[in-house]
Amino acid sequence: MGLLGWITLLPLLGAILVMVVPREEEAIHRGLGLFASVATFLASLLILSGFDAATPGFQMKVDVPWVESLGIRFTLGIDGISLWLVMLTTFIIPLTLLFPQSIGLRNIRVREFTIAVLVLETGMLGAFLALDMFVFYVFWELMLVPMYFIIGIWGGERRLYASIKFVLYTLVGSLLMLAAILYMYMQAHELLVAQKAAGGEMMASLPVWTFSYEVFSHLSLPFLPQMLCFGAFALAFMIKVPLFPFHTWLPDAHVEAPTGGSVILAAVLLKFGAYGFLRFAMPMFPLATYQTAPLIAWLAVIGIIFGALMAYVQNDVKKLVAYSSVSHLGFVVIGLLTLNAQGIQGGLYQMLAHGISTGGLFLGVGILYDRRHSRKLEDFGGLWAKMPVFAVCFLVIVLASGGLPGLCGFVGEFLILLGTFNAKQGWTANGFPHDTMFWNPILMAALAATAVILAAMYLLMMYQKIMFGPLDKPENRADNMKDIHGREKFVFAVIVAAAVVMGVMPRPILSRTEASVNAFISSFTDRLKEATRDPEAGPHFYPPYYGDREVAAAQGGTAPVANAEVAR
Amino acid sequence: MNFKVEELLAIAPLILMVVMGCAILVAETFIKGRSRAGLAWLGVAGSLGTVALIVNQWALAAQPQSIFQGMLVVDRMSLLFDATFVISGIITILVSHDYMQEHGFEFGEFYPLVLFTVSGMMMVSHATHLLSLLIGIETMSIGAYVLTGCWRGNPRSTEGALKYYLMGAFATGFMVYGMALIYGSTGGALTYEGISAKIGAVGSEPIFLVGFYFILGALIFKVAAVPFHMWAPDAYEGAPSNVTGFMAAGVKAAAFAGLLRLMQSAFGGTQLAVDGSGWVEILSIVAMLTMILGNLAALRQENVKRMLAYSSVAHAGYVLVGFCALGLGLSGADSSVTFYLIAYTFTTLGSFAVVAWVGRRNDERLTVDSWAGLASERPGVALAMTIFLLSLGGVPPTAGFFGKFYLFRIAMGSDKLYPLVIVGVLSSVVSVYYYLRIVVAMYFQEPIGQRQAYASPASRVALLVAAFAVVALGVLPGTVIDWASGGGKAVVDAVAALAR
Repeated sequence: MGLLGWITLLPLLGAILVMVVPREEEAIHRGLGLFASVATFLASLLILSGFDAATPGFQMKVDVPWVESLGIRFTLGIDGISLWLVMLTTFIIPLTLLFPQSIGLRNIRVREFTIAVLVLETGMLGAFLALDMFVFYVFWELMLVPMYFIIGIWGGERRLYASIKFVLYTLVGSLLMLAAILYMYMQAHELLVAQKAAGGEMMASLPVWTFSYEVFSHLSLPFLPQMLCFGAFALAFMIKVPLFPFHTWLPDAHVEAPTGGSVILAAVLLKFGAYGFLRFAMPMFPLATYQTAPLIAWLAVIGIIFGALMAYVQNDVKKLVAYSSVSHLGFVVIGLLTLNAQGIQGGLYQMLAHGISTGGLFLGVGILYDRRHSRKLEDFGGLWAKMPVFAVCFLVIVLASGGLPGLCGFVGEFLILLGTFNAKQGWTANGFPHDTMFWNPILMAALAATAVILAAMYLLMMYQKIMFGPLDKPENRADNMKDIHGREKFVFAVIVAAAVVMGVMPRPILSRTEASVNAFISSFTDRLKEATRDPEAGPHFYPPYYGDREVAAAQGGTAPVANAEVAR
Repeated sequence: MNFKVEELLAIAPLILMVVMGCAILVAETFIKGRSRAGLAWLGVAGSLGTVALIVNQWALAAQPQSIFQGMLVVDRMSLLFDATFVISGIITILVSHDYMQEHGFEFGEFYPLVLFTVSGMMMVSHATHLLSLLIGIETMSIGAYVLTGCWRGNPRSTEGALKYYLMGAFATGFMVYGMALIYGSTGGALTYEGISAKIGAVGSEPIFLVGFYFILGALIFKVAAVPFHMWAPDAYEGAPSNVTGFMAAGVKAAAFAGLLRLMQSAFGGTQLAVDGSGWVEILSIVAMLTMILGNLAALRQENVKRMLAYSSVAHAGYVLVGFCALGLGLSGADSSVTFYLIAYTFTTLGSFAVVAWVGRRNDERLTVDSWAGLASERPGVALAMTIFLLSLGGVPPTAGFFGKFYLFRIAMGSDKLYPLVIVGVLSSVVSVYYYLRIVVAMYFQEPIGQRQAYASPASRVALLVAAFAVVALGVLPGTVIDWASGGGKAVVDAVAALAR
């Protein structure tokens, strides 16, 4: 199975173990869940230590046949792009299970909650690691069900509405993506059959039916099908990011979800949007990406400012944090579309930083709601005096989210803005100037930068209303407004430590993403060049096809296989 | 007229089913007291014996064998369907005994009726002759009519049975008329092989086409696809819940199995489509309407049985997409239809088994609201129901997901079917909404009052079998796909070889 296979299935095994323990044994459920997730985290540390930063391609591959007659293989692999997202997942889940307020006020059904979180972890890890489109889709959908239950069972007042909205939004996107996957699968099949008949040497080892990511990402579609398939993929990912105007499910889901659900949703689940663009939509559809980049970038800019403004006027702390997510994740998307190393690495870094800081913010909201049974800003005030330790931790997290230098949020935002200012040169240097008047990275960067100021405003306003001012409300003076203690303190300490470490030492993280990001940029531009040469050409494979070994062989002197441009 | 013992042996599972049915009928007269549990177990034992015989036949059936002068064929596809039908019979019997006791209408003839109906289904899956198809379909249908009306004390049951019977008889009439027209236009051909041989000559003659469409229409009626779906919600709702699952799963799957063989062997797959009779176009409109209307109608149902009934209408639409692919000659279409039907059978049977189990006498719990809090009353049952509902909605890793995936994957082979795939995909999003309504009630709402389902170890076994099958088919579909791919083309060749 390999390390990656085990790390994916470990949480699921844990969930099955929890399932067979009788329902009365709550302590055992908690313990087992925590044990499984910590074991997963330790296993992911093994991956980190075995990871070779210099290799741009996929490492530690696992490849097991699954449904052979359809060419479905259980293929997993990790590279610099997925490495840290996997680490983030395995890091956040144990904290969620450890945190006492994860389940929310109705502290019921611990067993089911633990099972849901562990199944969710398997889904997330599998989707980050999958190198087979079918496997990716299965894990992608596997995330949906536990999250639905987490919102629906342990959620707040309007949990039914929020959970069903979450499911339907996500499903519309992902089922269209499935249709696109199937379309590409059929196209790849026709092509593989034709090329095999033509007798390409590299082709001999390939099956005619395959969902392999390698094959899919080397498949060049003509312009119209490419736009349609890109549309299907991009819709799924834009909903997940979420990008304006597909964001409306997010505030509902966040506000209604229990603390643990919000943390996982914000820290990991939303990352699949940006990850999907980087891993799937962009490499598979370079021409469509190029054509729509201005549009998507503007949607992201609108989302950044809209999210920030919406956050500013919220009275509900959780909604405020939810809209700040919309704003922060817009940055990530812009970063990816700059097509230079700074922007993309910044985008990746921002994903991680957002996971830590927004996860921390939701934990803080969980504490506030647990103590005060309210999330309204106006109900708080002067808590600094009652909860000093919490106030300090929360301050660090708020500042990290706002992008204060020295904390995690700054690095990502800075790199993204830098990348965006250089974006014009980036695309132009690679031979793809955007001629449309809509493509104005400098303006985009300037507009996005205002959101950094807005972020400081709404976050500090929130902090001020909660922590400072007179302690004049009797409920806040009551004895149940205890400071954080025990497990809560531990969880916050870990989050704060992560925020600080990521703020002062970005190098270890960036150095491991660098090779993969550079390889991504060069292969993307190569494919784009190939695709723009003749946008209407029939489906064909990009050179040099296929896989790492063959790339090396091609560079070693053998001529790349000519593109068999097979008419349909 | 030569008659070989091997031919009887080849069809032994079907014979055992009928013999067991007769035996139980006789045994019934010797039973004293009120409980008919012994008969139920006899029925299960007979069915298990049949499954054993089917397994025994499996190796032999690698080579399709045509028996009784081309009336029936024994091949892997038919055995696969047989096994599915027999297991659906077992699940029905397991659920039924306690259900009928609870609701006070148990009677001994129920179990033989189930076995006879199953034997009719098996006949349909083996049929390669219009008459054997007719006999199979009628055996199955008459059994289903009686089962629908078997709860004599319940007026809805009687009403459902009457509607089902009248409409069914009407459809059968059309089918027989169609067969007669085919018989006439082909100059006396009734075997699939004979019809297939004549298609080139008479395939575009109006009489032949009318006959073809009559048969097709009658079978579309049996599978309850739009526009011939009107009877389904009433019949499904009226039938006792233990029977509804059997009707919605087994009977429908059998009708599809018959249609599959008919389209593949008799009407020569692509040949008719090429001749421009346009049945693929017509069927794709039917499939599209069925998917859309079935799901939209299900959206508005408050009654769980009616909701599942409309959902089964919608599922007929998905299967018809596979038939369109078959008509366009896409390879793998038959095995995708077979897989979908098997997945659908277990899922539907399981979901109706839950519906049957949670109700009590005078409190059938048929509205969605009455399912509130089931998860805290009976977590295991709620979990099983969730698995079935997710499978119906096509969420991985369940059988329903893989079935849809496989079907759409085949359909993507032709750009003519892209609209169907898109409609199928979008309508299954709609379907998830109403399936989740039941999940919402079970998990997210507090129970109203204290209620307990009756203890029923047999139902528990039935649910376990169904849930296991649904998950196993979803996680490891490969084996069944390989089994299902065995049939198809090989049969046509075998029958042709026999004729030579």
